[in-house]
Amino acid sequence: MIDRRHFFKVENCTLMLYPSRTGHHSSNGSVMRLRIVVCVKQVPDVAEIRIDEIKHTLIRSGVPSILNPFDEFAVEEALKIREKLGGEVAVISMGPLQAKETLFKCLAMGADRAILLSDPKFAGADTWATSKTLAMTIQKIGFDLVICGMKAVDGETCQVGPEMAELLGIPHVSYVKRLEINEDGKSLIAERMTEQGHQLVSCSIPCLLTATKALNVPRIPTIISQLAAKKKTIEIFTAENIGAQKEQVGLPGSRTHVLKVFTPNLRTGEGKIVRADDKDAVVQLLALLKKERITQ
Amino acid sequence: MSQSASNGVWIVGEQKDGQMAAVTLELLTTGRWIADSLKQQLTVVMIGNELDAMVGTLAEYGPNRIILVSGEDAKQFIPEVYSESIAALVAKTPPSVMLFPATYDGRDLAARLAAKLGVGLAADCTEVSVDDQGRFVQVRPAFGGNLMAVIHQPVARPQLATLRPHITKPVKSQTKITPVIEHANVVGLPKLFDKKVLETVREVAEESGNLDEAEVVIGVGRGLGSLENLKMVTRLAVLLDAAVGGSRGVVDAGWLPHSQQIGLTGRVISPKMYMALGISGAVQHLVGVRTAKEIVAINIDPEAPIFKVATYGIVGDLFSVLPTLIKGLESQTEGKVVPQART
Repeated sequence: MIDRRHFFKVENCTLMLYPSRTGHHSSNGSVMRLRIVVCVKQVPDVAEIRIDEIKHTLIRSGVPSILNPFDEFAVEEALKIREKLGGEVAVISMGPLQAKETLFKCLAMGADRAILLSDPKFAGADTWATSKTLAMTIQKIGFDLVICGMKAVDGETCQVGPEMAELLGIPHVSYVKRLEINEDGKSLIAERMTEQGHQLVSCSIPCLLTATKALNVPRIPTIISQLAAKKKTIEIFTAENIGAQKEQVGLPGSRTHVLKVFTPNLRTGEGKIVRADDKDAVVQLLALLKKERITQ
Repeated sequence: MSQSASNGVWIVGEQKDGQMAAVTLELLTTGRWIADSLKQQLTVVMIGNELDAMVGTLAEYGPNRIILVSGEDAKQFIPEVYSESIAALVAKTPPSVMLFPATYDGRDLAARLAAKLGVGLAADCTEVSVDDQGRFVQVRPAFGGNLMAVIHQPVARPQLATLRPHITKPVKSQTKITPVIEHANVVGLPKLFDKKVLETVREVAEESGNLDEAEVVIGVGRGLGSLENLKMVTRLAVLLDAAVGGSRGVVDAGWLPHSQQIGLTGRVISPKMYMALGISGAVQHLVGVRTAKEIVAINIDPEAPIFKVATYGIVGDLFSVLPTLIKGLESQTEGKVVPQART
């Protein structure tokens, strides 16, 4: 439940608690349609990844690809905003052609438009090159509000959202737990997760938001909506389409290079496991706590 | 920024209302070591309005220079303002390496600055060092901690990295260095934006503690049986000054607030010790604790996957082990002042 008392505290700010469903009006009386862009990523289902304990590599074959869970919250929030205030939801993703599956899911959820950035030139992009490519695309198609998941579960950087906002020259609010958009579509109030709790932030639109799990419960596409989505076209954009030079994107555009990867020591078989009826079981735990200087 | 023009290691510290975050001293310790390895100077940058009282403590960790950035707009963390202010400093004396905390605010700040400067950023590093070729290298987890990537930044300067809290133990400088203190003004918000922090609320459940800041985190799973049994865990948490988090199952059951969920769709933590009580150790949960230094597991099922990653495990009934453990800790602390409740 959103505690709306927070939102009422804000002076001079009319919030749309009971919005109309027919779109909304800007101050000059014309109907304004919010252009919402959601950035999504197809990721391997991290929970299904196994380690080859002999070769120390990731076993990725047979691991299903899914829509990054945090991006699902971003799509859902965009759809909710559109339902309240009117507008258009465009979903964009960068990846190989297989990533179309992910975009079909977003269309089945209710997105109006889907764009896949697919070009061998985009391969090997780090956070900078990814942010640059996505930002150039967003700039090209036009936007009022950009929403993405707080992080992708494969790369786990939490950096692409804020980097894109900087490149687009707009403010951002990260780790959003709750959101209210002003009825004029020109500002919003977001509750942002912090280490200590949360912050209530007001921000002008255009801006960028990153979504957490607490934001909403994503809708599940029906069979009918899935069938309807399959009939829609996913637009494919290449580097040329967004006006990117090859040295701006992909590996050549990346500022960070991976020297090597390794699987961490997962301590398999290293840990000491005892039975509770071993009289030293707790004694050894107390000793460990002392050794780590957790207790004196 | 050319490589030759950039010199020095900077760390950007974190503070809230004049309270320095512990991670600042960890960064200083790492920064001093990297600076020594590169034979460069160490600078610490702090932004806020109640910074003077921190200078003494900061100086003990060996920076050559302390830059204090203040002004009306420095009061609240606004990443757009803070990044613009740091970019102005970078333009004057471009550093080679910049380290930030991998906290909610630190990640926001580092990302905006990296994009502004057009440089690289290695996120959530668990290790940084200088290799035998004199390169600054970063190690960071990916794929839920299943994979570690060793990263370097060949051309763009400065090289940015955010470091997870708790990966370094703060160590005061051996040699006495008297740092140069510089003052700078915060750069205000661009006129185009309107952004304000209206309210900052501490909502960490008092009895649950702060998962990101605590050195010890106790994780509870459905093996706890019932909400009633959480009381025993709370007592243990007080004795160990630990925070309490839980698996998705426990949070979905309403035993703990959402802020305390650990794992893939919750928080990823790197405490000194993670103590898993009645947690089987599904991958979705383990990815949230994999970089903990020690993992202690107590579970009745000897086949529970948590034992595969535990440094120390006890197979048995939680409710026979916990009272013995609590008693043991209580007898150790007899005569000492033990906090009865978190404030």
